[in-house]
Amino acid sequence: MKKDALILGGGIAGLWCAWELARLGLESTIVETAAFPGGRAARLCCKATDECRRCGACLLEDVLHKVVWSDRITMLLHSDLLQVQGESGDFHATVSQRPARIVSDRCNDCGACEATCPVPGALVRSPWDRGLAIDEQKCRWFQDASCRACQETCAQDAVNLDRTPEILELNASTIVLASGFKPSDPHDTPRFGYGRVPGVVTGLELESLLRQENWEPGPSRKIAFIQCVGSRDAKIGRNYCSRVCCGYALRLARLLRNRFPDLSTSMFYMDIQSFERDFDKRLKEIEQEVKLVRSIPSEIRKGADGSPELVYQGLDDNREFESFDLVVLSVGISPNQSSVELGNIVGASSNVDGFVGGDGEAAVTSRCGVFVAGTVQGPKSIEETVSHAIRTAGEVASCVSKISREENE
Amino acid sequence: MKASAIESIFLTRKPRPKEDAALRVLVLGGDQTGMDLASRLAVEGFEVLLVGGTAVGQTSEGVDLFPDAVLEEIQGFVGGFEVILRTRRDRLTERVGFIVAAQPARIVPKYEQHSLTKSRKVISLSDLEAGLRTGNALEQPLDEWFHAAFLYGLKTESQPAVFARVLDAIEKLQGQGAIQPYVFTRHLKVAAAGLERRYRECRERGTLFFKFDDAGPFFDSSPNGPVMTFTDPLLHLEMDLEPDVLVVDEELLPPTMLEPLFKSMPSSRFAAPFLKPESTRFPGVETPKAGILAVGASRGVFDPEIIRGDIEAVIVALKRPMPEPMQESLPGPPEVDPGKCTMCLTCVRLCPHGAISFSKHAEADGATCTRCGICAEECPMEAIKLEPASQQPEMSVRIRNCLVHTGAAGKIVAFLCSRSAAHAMESIGRQIGENLVPIPVPCAGTVGLTHILSAFESGADGVIVAGCFKGNCASIYGTLLAEDRVGQVRGFLGEVGIDPGRVMFVSTASNTPGVLVHAVRNLELTITRVNNVEQCEKSQKRGSGAIP
Repeated sequence: MKKDALILGGGIAGLWCAWELARLGLESTIVETAAFPGGRAARLCCKATDECRRCGACLLEDVLHKVVWSDRITMLLHSDLLQVQGESGDFHATVSQRPARIVSDRCNDCGACEATCPVPGALVRSPWDRGLAIDEQKCRWFQDASCRACQETCAQDAVNLDRTPEILELNASTIVLASGFKPSDPHDTPRFGYGRVPGVVTGLELESLLRQENWEPGPSRKIAFIQCVGSRDAKIGRNYCSRVCCGYALRLARLLRNRFPDLSTSMFYMDIQSFERDFDKRLKEIEQEVKLVRSIPSEIRKGADGSPELVYQGLDDNREFESFDLVVLSVGISPNQSSVELGNIVGASSNVDGFVGGDGEAAVTSRCGVFVAGTVQGPKSIEETVSHAIRTAGEVASCVSKISREENE
Repeated sequence: MKASAIESIFLTRKPRPKEDAALRVLVLGGDQTGMDLASRLAVEGFEVLLVGGTAVGQTSEGVDLFPDAVLEEIQGFVGGFEVILRTRRDRLTERVGFIVAAQPARIVPKYEQHSLTKSRKVISLSDLEAGLRTGNALEQPLDEWFHAAFLYGLKTESQPAVFARVLDAIEKLQGQGAIQPYVFTRHLKVAAAGLERRYRECRERGTLFFKFDDAGPFFDSSPNGPVMTFTDPLLHLEMDLEPDVLVVDEELLPPTMLEPLFKSMPSSRFAAPFLKPESTRFPGVETPKAGILAVGASRGVFDPEIIRGDIEAVIVALKRPMPEPMQESLPGPPEVDPGKCTMCLTCVRLCPHGAISFSKHAEADGATCTRCGICAEECPMEAIKLEPASQQPEMSVRIRNCLVHTGAAGKIVAFLCSRSAAHAMESIGRQIGENLVPIPVPCAGTVGLTHILSAFESGADGVIVAGCFKGNCASIYGTLLAEDRVGQVRGFLGEVGIDPGRVMFVSTASNTPGVLVHAVRNLELTITRVNNVEQCEKSQKRGSGAIP
């Protein structure tokens, strides 16, 4: 059966676009490569203190609940787009669906497989703590067929490593690319010491730990946030602002201060981007809680006591040295290589910054009938991603009704 | 209170029966955005009434122009609003299905912040833009300019949209002759598509940027014009500059004339001066009231690229079938018992979505009502009831059934907001749950004394009311009302011999199951402690009774 839209990516952009289309009476299929829907937002934490701080992370759960109940949306997990033929109004897509290795109907979530699995991270828990999946990139069975521990352990007979992928042929009038972004790789800026200096983490890693309630300050009493890691850096080809990092770093800093009042937090920045209304007032509040330092460190190194030490230009041009217990790199939003590849498959070209689609905030691409939604098109906050996905749904709906008018004529 | 006074306060008199107004849209415009939106809507088959400054001769078919009209009053609901427009000559009553606020931002030059006054050499960004457009609006010929100083977000924060305009102006000036631009700023706002790249290019073409953390330059005036003195933030050298032109940046504010819209939506006081609260519950153009949409400045968005998306989002919102089918788990629309309603208007004043009108008694509009249930709980006459969701008994019966079914001993009844806490509960799985009786409610704001007492009457040991975090309630203040009420109930419980510690309120989000788990564990501890104390007291009483 021909669907109105084939949506590539089951993160917040793809889900919201599918839901808006469903509200308009249009049917769509979401193709998601991971075992669980939700994408990046599913690993972000709520940043509410005593009140909501408007990070938007919970919008994912909102839309997911709506999508699950909609009979106009089909979700294909573990699935990858192989090729696309045809044209606007009549696309034929070939999708490979890897089978669910752990059958959710049988799995009773006992955790026995997790206990026996010898490879950390090969068994992936859903962001909602219910349900498990196998990461085929890590699982030994899919590397050299050397381990079947999980299948042998499972008393429920829920694990099946032997099922083979299925090839699906899908027809759709339009295609929406909603395959998201890649967090900037902190290794691209080696002077920040990521992977070399203990106590240097990325903002996303911290968020993920906070989401799992797995982070305690322990000895971390002094925390530094470093802005523009992989953003506003023409030397590594990122000639743009990622637009979200000032917001998430300051929200995280305030969240930590709220939970652990004796922590001290500092933020090292170039320019603080407004992310809320009445930002003058907000900034004054923030200054009470977070020390703002206008300087990007020239180096982060292992200090004499083992904790990370920042070297930066202080006021009056003095070189300053300051030790912290934890340094959080506010990594930005980069183009996703797999999105660019998907763009190649569907025939949508990339823009000057490497994101798929045109400049500005356009939802259309270089190919008729192919659209983009969310951060695949460029940096966006969660709220902006939702706005963009609604815009995309509108453009898709117009395109579909134009196609059906033409078909009727 | 006189009837006329009531009408002037609450503009929600029951409207006349709906005509076919659903395809008519009132657009409050004023610039290109309003016109683009109007013609887009016309193409989509809507009949548009466009209010606000429009150049003559740019009309498109299906758009009625009211260039000098002012929106005076709104009544009714989505699909059948009655609006009163005042023009220079008369007062028109029109019926429309939707109202879209798409006025441009109010632009205020920041002269005062710098104690500057407009003069031949001191102009606002808008003045410069007008001059560049027409070529003759400026008092001073452009070719006499060499040093052009721009102030941008120096004393108060600015917007990327304004920085884009500064860059536009610099590029145009550079295209017209020899010029040395300077930009004086604090935080450059580059968080918009392509802005960082344009900033770098502008710098490479010779514009000097000075970023200040402190007060910035000091302004004086000489017979020749303004004089600026400042310490270069990088070189730490004292500098002075006598610019040939000093361009003052501008503040972007929400439009005025939203007053009639505010009045139709009691929750608007949490959003004013914007039309939409700053809440992720309203991520697009929709406001808390169905059929009233906010585009661009009225929702706090100033980036022209995103505003273009807003236009598309309006089309999406207007094309949705109406009323949309509600989730099955939500109750039906509130029913008012005409015999009990005394027209006290509590519900009208409190409905966050402006869904309640009145003629002989209060009545909720089915398409506007989100079923939050705040009205039912707040009605002092208990005249309003939410019809239970299909095939579900009334809430007190549900509570009793749940407790009877599972055995009441040690049980905690949890009233969970279906938009946050109920989702969180789903992902808790096996961590808690044995002793928890979850009762999903449409909004925590619908939970009150009766519900909490009925839980205790049915034998529960404790009650949790779990709402959204402040600022994240889909009914704006439902969660605040719930928290207040739990406080009141605690006071009351003490009087009837139930330990107030047995009731608690907790703020949650759908992605914070942990918060709910902690709350339940804490309540369990409290209950154990209270049970012990109460048992001790009982046995002491028995003991003291035995001795004499």
